[in-house]
Amino acid sequence: MALRWWWRWRCGASSRRAPPLGSLPRLRLPGPGSRPPPAPSAAMCHFLQRSTILSFPKICNILWRLHHTSISQMCSCRKTISDEKYQDPFQLGRKDLKNLYEDIKKELLVSTAELREMCEYYFDGKGKAFRPMIVVLMARACNIHHNNSREMQASQRSVAVIAEMIHTASLVHDDVIDDANSRRGKMTVNQIWGERKAVLAGDFILSAASVALARIGNTTIISVLTQVIEDLVRGEFLQLGSKENENERFAHYLEKTFKKTASLIANSCKAVSILGCPDPKVHEIAYQYGKNVGIAFQLIDDVLDFTSCADHLGKPTAADLKLGLATGPVLFACRQFPEMNAMIMRRFSKPGDVERARKYVLQSDGVQQTTYLAQRYCHEATREISKLRPSPEREALIQLTEMVLLRDK
Amino acid sequence: MWGALARRGGRGGWRGLAAGRPPAAAAPWSQVVSEAEKIVGYPTSFMSLRCLLSDELSNIAMQVRKLVGTKHPLLDTARGFVYDSRNNLQMRGLVILLISKAAGPSTAELSFQPNMVSGIYSSQRSLAEITELIHTAFLVHRGIVNIGELKSCDGPLKDMQFGNKMAVLSGDFLLANACTSLAQLQNTKVVELISSAIGDLVQGIYYENSKLSEENCLTDDIGISTWKEQVFLSHSALLAKSCQAAMELAKHNAEIQDMAFQYGKHMSMSHKLHSDLQPFVKESSSDTVVFSLNSAPAILHQEFLGREAWIKQIREAQGKGSLMDYKKLQEAIKAGKGVTSAIDLCRYHGNRALAALESFPPSEARSALANIVHAVTRFS
Repeated sequence: MALRWWWRWRCGASSRRAPPLGSLPRLRLPGPGSRPPPAPSAAMCHFLQRSTILSFPKICNILWRLHHTSISQMCSCRKTISDEKYQDPFQLGRKDLKNLYEDIKKELLVSTAELREMCEYYFDGKGKAFRPMIVVLMARACNIHHNNSREMQASQRSVAVIAEMIHTASLVHDDVIDDANSRRGKMTVNQIWGERKAVLAGDFILSAASVALARIGNTTIISVLTQVIEDLVRGEFLQLGSKENENERFAHYLEKTFKKTASLIANSCKAVSILGCPDPKVHEIAYQYGKNVGIAFQLIDDVLDFTSCADHLGKPTAADLKLGLATGPVLFACRQFPEMNAMIMRRFSKPGDVERARKYVLQSDGVQQTTYLAQRYCHEATREISKLRPSPEREALIQLTEMVLLRDK
Repeated sequence: MWGALARRGGRGGWRGLAAGRPPAAAAPWSQVVSEAEKIVGYPTSFMSLRCLLSDELSNIAMQVRKLVGTKHPLLDTARGFVYDSRNNLQMRGLVILLISKAAGPSTAELSFQPNMVSGIYSSQRSLAEITELIHTAFLVHRGIVNIGELKSCDGPLKDMQFGNKMAVLSGDFLLANACTSLAQLQNTKVVELISSAIGDLVQGIYYENSKLSEENCLTDDIGISTWKEQVFLSHSALLAKSCQAAMELAKHNAEIQDMAFQYGKHMSMSHKLHSDLQPFVKESSSDTVVFSLNSAPAILHQEFLGREAWIKQIREAQGKGSLMDYKKLQEAIKAGKGVTSAIDLCRYHGNRALAALESFPPSEARSALANIVHAVTRFS
């Protein structure tokens, strides 16, 4: 929603037809180099495009102002919802996440000491546990919404465990694929034990998550969370390819972001809502909240790759560029510096590309615009979750969207 | 290609068996298989078309082409899918279909039999496909290379990294497809069984791996009971649990489920033993035979001889160079009791598999399953 608004605003398009929820924007916006066919609408679009480029600084200005007003609007609207504004959302979920990592380790029944060590490597309690946190808060918010129940079901807690396991399994494989050296401030599994074993460790964590999932004993939940596994792989495939057309490229980027990051959050939120409440409307709210927060989370992640320092992040910076990936900040910067197009197409493979692209991004407003886009997604998440009956957990989830934006690691 | 087959033989893949000479007395392997395929209705075209035609896999195929000329194992595995497809008849799938047909519908299900083609439920056909997908995924993941251990003779580092990337991705893709189909079966018990089988498989492969990396130690000091445990994980668990799951899908009782499990387990154990035995029972060709020092005959040989004497024999075969004289070692093992007792063990598991089949009513499908056992327990 936010995105559609955003693009329409940027492009000056006036289409009123709303695509179905969850669809990605399909825009007709020729890149600066392409020739529009002599259809009137396309010519109009081309004109708009040119004017956008010509008046770019002005637009940035407007953007910034708009961005600030929208934040203050969001804040004021939140005040009316809740007085507990400064409550730490993590505090609320923490009691449910006590022993999270112990419980995960219990699922990892391995006979070999070394394989166990590898599988438990990232479950050291030093992760953010961001996903389980959202899941338990969502579970409680839905339970209260449904019948004012203050209890969380064991199956809902299991979903939190499984979500973190699926996430970790995908991290282990991603690090092999990207040949990464460090994560969360320590060496990656593949660095220590080699790629061959690392891939097996990832497979094992996934199989253990699958067993835990089956033990919940609900085929709908199995389907919902299996979708995540499929999306994760498809997202990885999307990352392999790139699009030539600028708009397609952005849609491609967002689709990849959804599949690689947001799908896990969206579908585990949906899973706990199904377990807690029979109303399909609530399931959709939970899913939309998770999806929007998830995309925002990844957008900020992509920003931090440019703005944070390596020590703080626990992994090297400009990592995406080094992998040849053009994320949000780059795609925005490219509108300002069209010379980046060539670099994107060759996946920053020439010597000096990474440094130059980084410089361009920091000179441009790519970081601000990506942050702004993330804000729109958070706003949408807030709008969705506000449809639930008020509860401390619901407020915590709203608060959490803000923390997603403010986080620095 | 034969070279590649011989190398795979060490892992005891089905291919190893298909590549071996047909046993003299029993029906030739290919005959056993083609008769079995007729029984289950239509040819077992797993690795479903859906999967093969997907964007992702064609993307992989495009990318894997870039690996041609490199030494990444993924290339060998991929080549195996294409050139080897006549021999590599996706036996796991076939066995699952056969046992499904042999068991038939359960009495609880007799009232209505929807989705049955040639006496097999569509859910059981899906399961057969899932099992093949999982097996193939791990063939691919087995071929991941440790970047840190590469030597200059392995070619450019970049190629190997790229090969790894493709191998992780394509294996994950196959696994994800398996998970999706599994979820569609709408049976939590089956999901649990198959997921745990994936865990078993990973642990089994993990043992193989740790052996590979410690090649300098030559052999693990494991007895035959440990060998059996490890081979169960790496070669039997998936088939055994899939057979059991096929029964669960037809709502058969726990007893029938267990018999199906036992058949899958013991049949694949005897198959593994059969393939381990090939270098020792074939009339020796002039080629140098390379066999694993962790294959069943070698392990049993060590049990009879004692570890020290065995190590001594290995040192002698090794001579001064680092190259092992496998011919010499082979003769040493042949002279001992390792081979005959491995054959005994193979027949023991074969008999256990046949005994499990007794619980199923006589049928073409049951005979085909018995023939498979006969094919892997006969030695010329």
